[in-house]
Amino acid sequence: MIYCEKCVYPMTAAQLEITDGICSACRSAERLISITKEEWSHREEIFGDLVKSLASENGSNYDCLIPVSGGKDSFYQAHLMTEKYNLKPLLVTYHGNNYLPEGDFNRDLMRHAFDADHLVFGPSVSTLKKLNRVGFKVMGDMNWHAHCGINTYPIQIAMMMKIPMVIWGETFWDISGMFSPDDFVEFSARTRHEHALRGYEWYDLIGQEGLVEKDFMWAKYPDDQEILNAGVRGLCIGNYFNWDPNVQTEIIREKYGWKGSDKEFQRTYRKMSNLDDRYENGAHDLLKFIKFGYGRGSDHASKDIRTGYMTREEGIEMVRKYDHVVSDDLDYWLKYVEMSEEEFWSTADTFRDPRVWWIKNGEWWKDNIWGGSSAYGRVHLTDEQMQKYLREGS
Amino acid sequence: MKKKRVIPVLLHKEGWLVQSKNFSEYKRLGNAQKAVQRLSEWDSDELIYLDISKTESYTTHRSDTAAPEYDDLSDLLREVSKVARMPITIGGGIKTLYDIEVRLRAGADKISLNRAAIADPSLISSASREFGRQCIVVSIDYDEYGTERHLRVNNKNGTIGNPRSTLDWLLKVEELGAGEILLNSASRDGMKSGYDISFLAKVSEALNIPVIACGGAGKWEHLAEVLTETNVDAVAAANIFHFQDQSVYLARRYLASKGLPVRPPSIQTKKRIN
Repeated sequence: MIYCEKCVYPMTAAQLEITDGICSACRSAERLISITKEEWSHREEIFGDLVKSLASENGSNYDCLIPVSGGKDSFYQAHLMTEKYNLKPLLVTYHGNNYLPEGDFNRDLMRHAFDADHLVFGPSVSTLKKLNRVGFKVMGDMNWHAHCGINTYPIQIAMMMKIPMVIWGETFWDISGMFSPDDFVEFSARTRHEHALRGYEWYDLIGQEGLVEKDFMWAKYPDDQEILNAGVRGLCIGNYFNWDPNVQTEIIREKYGWKGSDKEFQRTYRKMSNLDDRYENGAHDLLKFIKFGYGRGSDHASKDIRTGYMTREEGIEMVRKYDHVVSDDLDYWLKYVEMSEEEFWSTADTFRDPRVWWIKNGEWWKDNIWGGSSAYGRVHLTDEQMQKYLREGS
Repeated sequence: MKKKRVIPVLLHKEGWLVQSKNFSEYKRLGNAQKAVQRLSEWDSDELIYLDISKTESYTTHRSDTAAPEYDDLSDLLREVSKVARMPITIGGGIKTLYDIEVRLRAGADKISLNRAAIADPSLISSASREFGRQCIVVSIDYDEYGTERHLRVNNKNGTIGNPRSTLDWLLKVEELGAGEILLNSASRDGMKSGYDISFLAKVSEALNIPVIACGGAGKWEHLAEVLTETNVDAVAAANIFHFQDQSVYLARRYLASKGLPVRPPSIQTKKRIN
């Protein structure tokens, strides 16, 4: 396995391109760090001009729409738009029924903290349970519904209410380096479709588990002409403001009473990420490890290495400690969707990337970033399914 | 007045659609077919699709997405052609007349020659005779050194500058029977600093065949500059069309608003992507 020499990402990380030993995410981050104070204030000016041109002119509508989960990023987005720009936002939440108690608290706090109008929408729980199962079986992702809801419902509302400015938080380059901070990339239907939704739309899932079109009213993305008519644009404030979650978390904690998690997650050392979704740091992320051999330990350590909070050696320890952990929320999820553990593993195993995993003595093996290779649990595949994972000499 | 074309360039590298900077830094954007479908829906005049892979790989190794995996270039081209409603020029890895035939059969409307033409210029004339001048584009990458323009020649270890004059090569290429020129400043690749206006103006005066300008687009104003200040037939760009939805529409809307002779912007959504 090839790893980035700066962070701890393996070459199998989603969308990652490693050139001359350094990955695309590190390259984007290098550029980000090199942005001077003067350049940031220039970027802020650009954003200010955009806000002026897009905010409601005659005061007859909301100035902007902010898709919020109640997480630290949501608070920071709302903080900027209300405090700095004095705008009237509409907060919109997709509620996928995955909230942790701390997440519930933070989400409901937003209406009070920002004295804002807040629309919370959630599909029926029976539909959600079906979509959890279908997403898992079709693409190894029980949270497809959440990615779809977050990336669709707010745009539907923006269209319906003719709110031209949708304010997103971080940009995609932070995770995989798809874009550079100089690209000023905006929200697009293609990124939504290909990356958030993994190329699957609502109509691809019709018929499974008895799902019908009526179950997906919130999942239908408007077409180009409708978007152009309403003039909706999705801006990422990460392009215009220096985005350091470790700093921003402190601001929103102090000013608005946002709460992190009291207890440690089992699959990462960070306490402030993904409270809006119990599986994002848990079973959902475990599936990423199953597929591509890396998890939240790698994600968070890589980010913290790039911003200088951690050395690569410390990062590798985080990978060793967290990436492979099977977290308790998996049991919670299996009960939620009424699935046996055996069915989970025999499905999950089919998604393993043969560049990462091989089978030896009935166990899954992979290389380790700290050297050598180890076994990571029993194989749950048929003999035929196992064929592509058998390596010569193993 | 003859319409000026606005042409998105897609770069394909080892199974992924990529952004490129300086011919050396790449960022993976996703799947080719989806991108082509979107460019089609935004009613692009044409599409240039360049395969810059170092190894022959057409898979993204993703078992967890709906993105199709391709066996080889022909397979990919056939799939891409299904969603394309504009003419496609395909380039990259073409060394022989047979390579050209394979691509034209799989759905390409034109092909573009680059390195192979430098190694063996007679390929241009034989390809032009065999398949017709109109479908042979010669793609030319060059580096800028002050006022000089050095043709870029690839060797085994990567790319090196070559003091061979780009203008001499352009004139030779025209004489050999190229139908069109894709002229790309490697020095401006991914830099967002604007096109090489002075050289483009000079070249478009010196040649009789159509010239497509490429390299340096950072905002729509840069495209307008090329069409205002030079006589090229088309303006092409790669990265910039990935940063915003309806980008091709927005580009032509901007250019039309400046009174430039482009086709009016339109949306051609046949199959809803929602």
